[in-house]
Amino acid sequence: MLGNGFPSPVYAVNPKATDILEQTCYPTVLDIPGPVDMAVIVVPISHALAVTEECGQKGVKGIIMVTAGFSEVGGEGKQLEEQLMGIVDRYGMRLIGPNTLGVVNAHAGMNASIISKLPAKGGISFITQSGTLGLALADWTMEMGIGLNIVVSTGNKANVDDVDLLEYLADDKQTDVIAMYIEGIDHGRKFMELAKGISKPILAVKAGRTRSGSKAVFSHTGSLAGLDNVYSAAFKQAGIIRIENIDDLFDSALALSVQPAPAGNRVGIISNGGGASIIASDTCERLGLAIPDLEPGTRAEIKELVPRFASYSNPVDTAGLASYETYNGIVKHMLRDPNIDALIVIYVHTVMWDSRIPANAIVDIHRGRCIKPVITCWLGGAGTEAGIDILKAGGLPNYPVPERAVKALASLVKHNGFLEKVKE
Amino acid sequence: MNGNEERLWKLLGEWNIPVLPMAAASSADAAVEAAKTLGYPVVMKVLSPDITHKSDVGGVILDLGSDKEVKDAYHGMMASVKQHQPEARIEGVVLQKMAGPGLEVIVGAKLDPQFGHVIMFGLGGIFVEICRDVSFRVTPVDREMARDMVLEIKGSPIIEGARGRESADLEAIIDVITALSSMLEKNPDITEIDINPLVVYSRGSVAVDARMLTR
Repeated sequence: MLGNGFPSPVYAVNPKATDILEQTCYPTVLDIPGPVDMAVIVVPISHALAVTEECGQKGVKGIIMVTAGFSEVGGEGKQLEEQLMGIVDRYGMRLIGPNTLGVVNAHAGMNASIISKLPAKGGISFITQSGTLGLALADWTMEMGIGLNIVVSTGNKANVDDVDLLEYLADDKQTDVIAMYIEGIDHGRKFMELAKGISKPILAVKAGRTRSGSKAVFSHTGSLAGLDNVYSAAFKQAGIIRIENIDDLFDSALALSVQPAPAGNRVGIISNGGGASIIASDTCERLGLAIPDLEPGTRAEIKELVPRFASYSNPVDTAGLASYETYNGIVKHMLRDPNIDALIVIYVHTVMWDSRIPANAIVDIHRGRCIKPVITCWLGGAGTEAGIDILKAGGLPNYPVPERAVKALASLVKHNGFLEKVKE
Repeated sequence: MNGNEERLWKLLGEWNIPVLPMAAASSADAAVEAAKTLGYPVVMKVLSPDITHKSDVGGVILDLGSDKEVKDAYHGMMASVKQHQPEARIEGVVLQKMAGPGLEVIVGAKLDPQFGHVIMFGLGGIFVEICRDVSFRVTPVDREMARDMVLEIKGSPIIEGARGRESADLEAIIDVITALSSMLEKNPDITEIDINPLVVYSRGSVAVDARMLTR
């Protein structure tokens, strides 16, 4: 909290210490002179209930209970959690956890978690049922340069649950995309109904895909309607994009947070190398995205910009050229083509070119507030960084390989499909 | 029939899910009379409140085409069931008109603790058992959703009449799925139900067999 420049007062409470990190330390929360809005409780479980009670007396509104040893261990822990909820309800408080690894709010400058530092500010909020995974991911997004808003580790969901958090994030102005890591949901129907009414993209990784259905063999339906099939159906009906794995979750969230949803599934591909565009086309086909023909007029314009032996139909291959005029011109013409709903622009780095030049060429177009999404893939590692920085600054999501770029685009297309069909 | 079975067939009738005409008989002669009224060929099933897996005890005989076959089947079935499950109470048999050949599909549902009733659709027989080519929707399921769930399975070209086969009546399948959805909404105690097979023709369909579990 202190290291991240949280603007409001932060008080340390500890019965033994007189100061922590040069902060005055109070023996109990009741000794703090000013009002307290939120408490982060990280005490041994034997003290958790007493401390919560004191918070209630102090008039604390929200609690983040990091302390573990409650219902997740069963038996006595379950009873303790019930007692804890008794206290929370009595004082009308709200509680995240117990057994949470905390909450981060990048826009508020609040890091009430054990993440080492605040992630960059962005439009993606992340709800995670696994604390450690959520934190590892937050670190990873920092490395990727993906901006986050709120990260919540739900813990045992004893008080605040997925439905509450979804409701909150739906109204949160700083959140454009909601990403979730789910192991199980407690109020499935309510969750679905709520998600249906949220037009912001919701992406979810549901763990436990391989768990087989119930053992009951009374009916075929009984044995086939395992958890996973039911979740898939429910998500689809609620317009929640189900994502296979974690890296795809953030790849898709990134694209959705900075690019508009396309009107359809027709993709234009531009590349300065044939191989990369073949991989992109194959992935498009596998994921149900179309690679339509361009209008004759578009083809004629592109023909003027590329060498004679290059491909001026979709996917366009510049046969190596990566000049400003080539990339700028081709992207402009393809965006105007009525057959195209979205673009994937690939640049394969070679020592002959400067990765910044094609990056500037498309960022300059994109500044003109494009309504068709553009996804980029600057391939080649070392030497592409400077170009990628320009793309990022220009609001273009970049991916290191074509498959990831296409998967992210597929999520954009899916979201648009939901907006038309599912969302109320 | 046990209570559930009786209720199940009644429910299917009430919700306009087409079923084959059937009649009960408690003697070989009565069975022959019933078969004549229904029209040959017929299926014979044992009528007992104590038997759930009828075919395991010799309690189902298909494709009976004449009076003699019905009579012999009746006596044979009584003997077989008594031998396999001597303690079972036997009330007689149910005769059902045989369904003509058509495309066999399965329409079922299950009560999920989180999401409530979930409806399943798939092609029958090997497709559902081996390929697990099925689709699901949480209720309520309207016609558009039902159409999507039918067309979503990999084997859906078979319904549309692939390779010169006659197409099966998609609207009739949608009728059954949506009827089942409405039926479940009014009967929340149903935990599992299978209509298997639902035989689908170029026009119309018929629920040939079904089973249900309630809580």
